[in-house]
Amino acid sequence: MSFYADSDYPVGAELDGAHAAQFANFARAGTWGTAAQRLAVISEARQAGIDAGLLEAPDDPGAMPDAELSQAVCDVIRTLAVDCPDFDQDTYQAARDAGLSDPEFTELVAIVSFVVNLDVFARGIGVPLRPFSEPQAGAPSRVVPKEAVLEQAFVPSIPNVPDGGDVANELYGGHFKPWIMRSLSLVPDEYRAHVALEQAQYNPLPKVMVYDYSHHEGLTRPQVEIVAGRVSAINDCFY
Amino acid sequence: MNPEALVRPELDSGVPAGDVLLAFAAAIIGTDQAALDQARAALKAALGPAAVVGASAVAGNFSKNDRVANGIGIPIDDMVFKGTEELREQLGLNDYKSAVNTFRHL
Repeated sequence: MSFYADSDYPVGAELDGAHAAQFANFARAGTWGTAAQRLAVISEARQAGIDAGLLEAPDDPGAMPDAELSQAVCDVIRTLAVDCPDFDQDTYQAARDAGLSDPEFTELVAIVSFVVNLDVFARGIGVPLRPFSEPQAGAPSRVVPKEAVLEQAFVPSIPNVPDGGDVANELYGGHFKPWIMRSLSLVPDEYRAHVALEQAQYNPLPKVMVYDYSHHEGLTRPQVEIVAGRVSAINDCFY
Repeated sequence: MNPEALVRPELDSGVPAGDVLLAFAAAIIGTDQAALDQARAALKAALGPAAVVGASAVAGNFSKNDRVANGIGIPIDDMVFKGTEELREQLGLNDYKSAVNTFRHL
């Protein structure tokens, strides 16, 4: 059954599948967080959006979190979820001071960004926010790619080929990847999830520089860029 | 396409239905539910129902990317930085708080 069967608007199979897969990812242990911790993080992010008036509370929120997060971590999540322009190096340092390691912080940034994305989409097509699934048993893998080094971001990342070695070859397909894609590479599974959403929602990566290609029925590429650029301008995102 | 419309949406973007898309992009990440309902209906009328899905997907995706970029503190890539000096000045992008993630490396 379609993940968006209740939508009045035609959601294609690729997008539908990508979103269903990401919601399933939320409910599994990540590389650093347990499934219960991940549910707590995305629930806090969603609640921040509801509290700020950016989202409408769903009648069926789905699974409720029972893992506790410190107030400091909740503050970091809320800043990222609803005060994105103000998220800066001090906010990152607050996360580190609250006890998060760089890989844990990276996974947190990933899943908060992903749930905001999915909730914005649901709001856009006029369906209720999708319910969260019950967290599954399982332990985080806690794998750190040995090729990751501190480059120019707050956290280490896997450099482009050739410096990134075999893991860069595998993750990046042997091609140069811009910062926005490599940003989550300290946690490769979140990098892969980021790419999957990007390809379903914006453009397949090989088509990004093909300016007469549009991935979206009903929109030309310039029309796509109008939406992308306006959202990023409102979010004061320099990147 | 007139990129200045991205920061001054009252301007003509030079893109068909650009005004409708600019309004929808603001409404989908804003707090006014009635404005979103109105913007969604206007977009459907202008470009069809599939465009509502596409615009929502793009808006969600860039809501993600803006948070990933600011959260991880990434700079813009060298080739983009070097090719956008005039545009960044024109749009006032250098004044964004997150610009420091690039300028701190210069």
